[in-house]
Amino acid sequence: MSRLPVFVRSALGAAFLALVAVTAGCDGGAIGANDPQSSGQSFVGSSYASTFYSVGHRPGAPSVSGTTVTGKQLSLASYRGDTVVLNFWGSWCAPCRSEAPALGTLARQLSADGVRFVGIDIRDEPASALAFMQTFGVGYPSLNDPSDEIALAFRSTVPPAAIPTTLVIDRDGRIAARIVGGATYTQLKSLISRVTQT
Amino acid sequence: MTAADRMSELPSDEDLLAAGSPTPPAPRRGRLGEAGWVRWSWRQLTSMRTALILLFLLALASVPGSVLPQQGIDPAAVSQYYASHPSLAPWLNRLSLFSVFAAPWFVAIYLLLFASLAGCVLPRTFRLAGSARQRPPRAPSNLGRLPASASYVTSQQPDEALQSAAQVLGKKRFRLRTGDGWVSAEKGYLREVGNLLFHIALLALLISIGLGGIFGYKANRLLVVGQGFANTPTALDVFRPGRLVSPNDLQPFSINLLNFNAKYVTSGPQVDQPISYKAALSYQTEPGASARHYVLQVNHPLVVDGVSVYLLGHGYAPAFKVTDGTGKVRWDGAVPFIPVEQSGLTSEGVIKVPDAKPYQLGFAGVFLPTAVDMGGRLQSGFPAPLDPRVSLVAFTGNLGMNSGQAQSVYELNTAGLHRLNITPTPLAPGRSIKLPNGAGTVTFTGYKQWVSLAITYDPGQLPALISGFAALAGLILSFIIRRRRVFVRAEAAQDGSTRVTVGGLTRSDAAGGFETEFAELTKVLRVEHQGQDEPDHGEEAGPPADSPPAADEAQDGGDRHAAALSAREGE
Repeated sequence: MSRLPVFVRSALGAAFLALVAVTAGCDGGAIGANDPQSSGQSFVGSSYASTFYSVGHRPGAPSVSGTTVTGKQLSLASYRGDTVVLNFWGSWCAPCRSEAPALGTLARQLSADGVRFVGIDIRDEPASALAFMQTFGVGYPSLNDPSDEIALAFRSTVPPAAIPTTLVIDRDGRIAARIVGGATYTQLKSLISRVTQT
Repeated sequence: MTAADRMSELPSDEDLLAAGSPTPPAPRRGRLGEAGWVRWSWRQLTSMRTALILLFLLALASVPGSVLPQQGIDPAAVSQYYASHPSLAPWLNRLSLFSVFAAPWFVAIYLLLFASLAGCVLPRTFRLAGSARQRPPRAPSNLGRLPASASYVTSQQPDEALQSAAQVLGKKRFRLRTGDGWVSAEKGYLREVGNLLFHIALLALLISIGLGGIFGYKANRLLVVGQGFANTPTALDVFRPGRLVSPNDLQPFSINLLNFNAKYVTSGPQVDQPISYKAALSYQTEPGASARHYVLQVNHPLVVDGVSVYLLGHGYAPAFKVTDGTGKVRWDGAVPFIPVEQSGLTSEGVIKVPDAKPYQLGFAGVFLPTAVDMGGRLQSGFPAPLDPRVSLVAFTGNLGMNSGQAQSVYELNTAGLHRLNITPTPLAPGRSIKLPNGAGTVTFTGYKQWVSLAITYDPGQLPALISGFAALAGLILSFIIRRRRVFVRAEAAQDGSTRVTVGGLTRSDAAGGFETEFAELTKVLRVEHQGQDEPDHGEEAGPPADSPPAADEAQDGGDRHAAALSAREGE
């Protein structure tokens, strides 16, 4: 009896927190909150938070494999020898939607240079994920990660701190760069060319 | 300010509980060297007054944290604040007012307070440690001036009397010190031990709380039945890490919600009240580990790897299938709705279909677990899903999701949207509404339940609890135990008898009772010395101690006194 009111009260609190929560949809918490108007360094803006790891300081990317949104099997290991751009996204996430055209364009432009794009679809339903890919003409495959196993696999290397997060993996399978928050065309392009040139 | 003043500041336990060192002597101006300034500043910082001011400042500094939206708690509200106060918001941000608890000035207050408390408590701890090991002081020369004193005459020799007095006091667990013609005894050192315990525990408590704040984290996650998640930042709805927590530090467990069951009272005055909530989980402590099962209940958290996962709340996630104007399915899944009242769990939520063509679609819905007709108006009559219905309001237009501006998945900004004219009849599971203008169809396919989980990792919690109890125990010890001193002097009188003077005092006899203890003690000593009950008490050649109590002031046994003196000289 005494336990229940606690629950009821916390149910309201939880509802509020949950509301707060997925609020902003995309931020995986305080780290990657998205507020483009902010200039403060206390939180990451919706873009421009990129990190480049020089050769010798690049953590090896975990071996990731699974089923794609379209139901095919995919293993990251099969891309070894190519530069891979790994994008964590969700169809519900506004910054992901705004960066999607840039990623789609770059994927087409750079495919001749041996740059492969792979998406990791987070907290999404297949129907809406497919709808997203259709809207933005995403030509590259996306692994479905309903239980965050892929995100978790990156924990000891460069864990995605927020959605979206974009990682650039070099030809040797090492993580060379990261963008937390929405990526822009020029930002991602210059980062990829830095990685392919090293 | 002289040495005497400083002496008086040395450990007197009256002020031990009042935190803060005594006011330091005012520095002599003009002759203060660098070291002097440092020492003076340190004294100021560790003074009680400064600690109180800092505590007040800390409370004051927290106020903007509850008045203004905070980035770490509600980033969307901060964005909204930016939109409605475009000129003020950047200034507030410059002052870190959107992340008050991480603001440099807030941390400065906190650290100063910590330094102040530590600086006050540490030296005190050392002094207390010294005082707990102290020997009793020398007996004062005039015991009659002490708050409690008694005097009587015995036929025993002075040293004999002192020896037996020491024995009596020793048996009563007094700490003893003897000197020429006196015995000094002190008891109640446990008070100092208690004080010491209190102070050390207080420091430990501060450190534990600090450690918890630095290395701990709090997170929330809403989980629909059938879903799973891993303890990684992207999977958490709210993630509030401590200062030194990086995403790599999160314990790599994962949890799947297999089932959720809520039971409610179905009749009587307590109808609608919940009886029990049970969430069946399977979890893995790390990737690749074997899956284990746990039934999560209120106040029965799952503890994985030192992290507690609490069942916080629950609700319904009605499932929808949205087909757009082109005939393609653009949404098919459950959408968590948030309860707006507890007796019937009426819940509200939104469905956003940003990829619907030709127009984006948005829905605002109300879910009724048990729809009851109340005079033409439907409402939920019971929290369990006995007759679920959903009513929807549909919109088309720009949902504003492609601009990149983050928004809540629980809110629909209807400002740029056009409301569609659809029949407001609530849908039963399996029923659809055809949207006008060829915008598509929405089907209420069913419902699932969700739970919200609170994930807390606080490595300082257990140490803080232990410190708290230790501090309490120390405080109680220091309150109930009195430090008290008893002195005995024995002097040979003119007539050969021995005059025994007993004096006693206690420090901070708040609880009272020393008077009685002293009277008892004096009685025991007198019986020992005057041998009321055992007239033949004296040792060896000791004379029969036979003086009656009435002979207190009597003058007798002068020759015996002389004999005792010579005997002592002979040794």
